[in-house]
Amino acid sequence: MSDLIVVERVGKRYQTTSGPVEALHDVSLAVGAGEFCTVIGPSGCGKSTLLGMLGGLVAADGGRVLVDGRPVTAPDPRRVATVFQEAGLFPWRTALENVEFGLELQGVPRGQRRARASELLGPLGLRDFAAKYPRELSGGMRQRVAIGRALAIDTQIILMDEPFGALDEQTRMLMGEWLLDIWRRTRKTVVFVTHSLHEALALSTRVVVMTARPGRIKSVLELPMPHPRAMESAEMTALRARLWGEIRDESLRAMGER
Amino acid sequence: MRVLALRAAILALLLLAWEAAARAANPLLYVPPSAVLPALGRLLALDSYPDLVPSLLLTLREIAVAYGLAIAAGLGGGAALGLNRVIGRAYGPIVGALYAVPAVVWYPSLMLFFGLDAASKIAFGFLLGFFPITLAVLAGIRQVNPHMLAVARAFGAGPRTVFVKVMIPAMMFTLVGGLRTGLALSVIGVIVGEILGSKSGMGSLINHAYGLFRTSDYVALVLVTLALIVGSDAIASVVEHRAQRWSE
Repeated sequence: MSDLIVVERVGKRYQTTSGPVEALHDVSLAVGAGEFCTVIGPSGCGKSTLLGMLGGLVAADGGRVLVDGRPVTAPDPRRVATVFQEAGLFPWRTALENVEFGLELQGVPRGQRRARASELLGPLGLRDFAAKYPRELSGGMRQRVAIGRALAIDTQIILMDEPFGALDEQTRMLMGEWLLDIWRRTRKTVVFVTHSLHEALALSTRVVVMTARPGRIKSVLELPMPHPRAMESAEMTALRARLWGEIRDESLRAMGER
Repeated sequence: MRVLALRAAILALLLLAWEAAARAANPLLYVPPSAVLPALGRLLALDSYPDLVPSLLLTLREIAVAYGLAIAAGLGGGAALGLNRVIGRAYGPIVGALYAVPAVVWYPSLMLFFGLDAASKIAFGFLLGFFPITLAVLAGIRQVNPHMLAVARAFGAGPRTVFVKVMIPAMMFTLVGGLRTGLALSVIGVIVGEILGSKSGMGSLINHAYGLFRTSDYVALVLVTLALIVGSDAIASVVEHRAQRWSE
C-alpha cells in the first residue's frame, strides 16, 4: 500500500496574547490510499491543526506535508475535500445548491453539477429536502449536506474534523454507520478527527492517539478487522480499554492545564 | 380590516379638524384640504405648472444619477474599508464622524463647486446616499462568519470568488437595509438641493409656489413629491423583503 498522505516532522506555534502556544510538536504520519485513519486525542491537542495542514488551510512551521507526492501549500479541491465540525453551510443556498458549491467553483456546467448533486442526495437521505434551506434542516441533515458537498467534488481524500461532534449520540452512531457504508462503496481515503472512542473503534482501520498540548503522536493502533464490528465482543472491549488507557492520561493532563 | 378602518377614521378626523382650523384661522396660510384638492387637479392638468412633467423627470433623473453614484462609491468604499485592515483603521472612524455631521452644511460649497444646475443636486444626493451604503457594507463585512470563508477557501475559492459567492450574499440583508436608507437620503438630498437653490426640478417648483404665496399649489406640489418618495421606498421595501428570505 503506497502512502497517499505523508506528514514529515511538522510543528506549529500560535502567537496568542499570553505568549506563543505550541500546538503541534514534531509530528510524522503516513496514511495509505483507502485507509480510514482516525486521529484521537484530548481537547486542544492540535488534531484540527493537523487536519488543517493536510487540507492546505494551515501552514506548518517546520517539516512538510505531501499529498500524492506533492507538497501541500494551499487547498487543493481536486484531491482533498474537507468536512468541518460546524457544517458551515451557506444559509442562502438550498441543500442541493450547497452540495453543488464545490462543483460550481470548479466550473462544472449548471446542468451537469445539478445532476451530480441530485444523485448524491439519495444516499445522503436527503432526497425530499433538496429545496430546503439549512435553517429548515436538523443538525444531522445539515452535517449530511456538508458531507455531500465534500463527496460531490469526488476527491480521493476526505478530511473530517469531528463531523458528528455536535450531534446527539443516537444520531451520531447512525451517521457513523452511514459514513462507513459510503467509505466502503467509494474506497476513499478518510482522515477523521474525533473525541469519541466508540467512533474511532467502530470506523477506523487505524487509530492515531495524540498527546496533550503540544500535540505529538503517542501511539498508533492498527485495526485490521472487517466492518461492521461487533462492538461488544471481547476483542473490541479489550481494545477499547487499551485505547482509553492511552487517552486517559493525556486527557487528565489537558484538564490539569486549564 | 379593523386596523384599516381605524386608520381611515383617524385620517378623516384629522382632515376635518384641519379644515375647520384652517377656515377659522387664515385659509391662505393654513390651506384647508378643500383648497388642496382643486389645486392638485389644476397641477395634474398641467394648468398651474405646465412644466410639471419635465420637472418631475429632471428630479427623477438627478435622483437616479446621485443614487447610482452613491451605490458604486459606497460599495467600493465600504469594501476597501472592510477588507483592508490598514485602510479600515485609517479611514473608518473618519467616515463614521463625517456621517454624524448634518450634511446640509456642505451644500453651499457644493453649489460653489458645481453651480446651480443639476450637478450640485446630484452631488448633494450622492453625498447623503453614500454614507449609509458605505457603513452598511462595512457592518456587513464584519458580520460574515469567518468559518464560511474557511469553507469556501477549502473548496478552492480565491479572494474574488470568496467576495462574490460568500461575502456579498452573507451580508445581503444588512447591505439591502443600507441601500434602502441610501435611496431615501439621496432623494432627500436632491429635493432639498433643489429647494435651497435651483431653476428647475420639483424642488424649484415648490420654492416658486411658496415664494409667491400660492400656498394651495405649494401643498399640491408637495403631495406629488411625496408620492414619488413613497413610491421609491415601496420598491426598495419589496427588494428588502426578497433579501430577507435569504438570511438566517
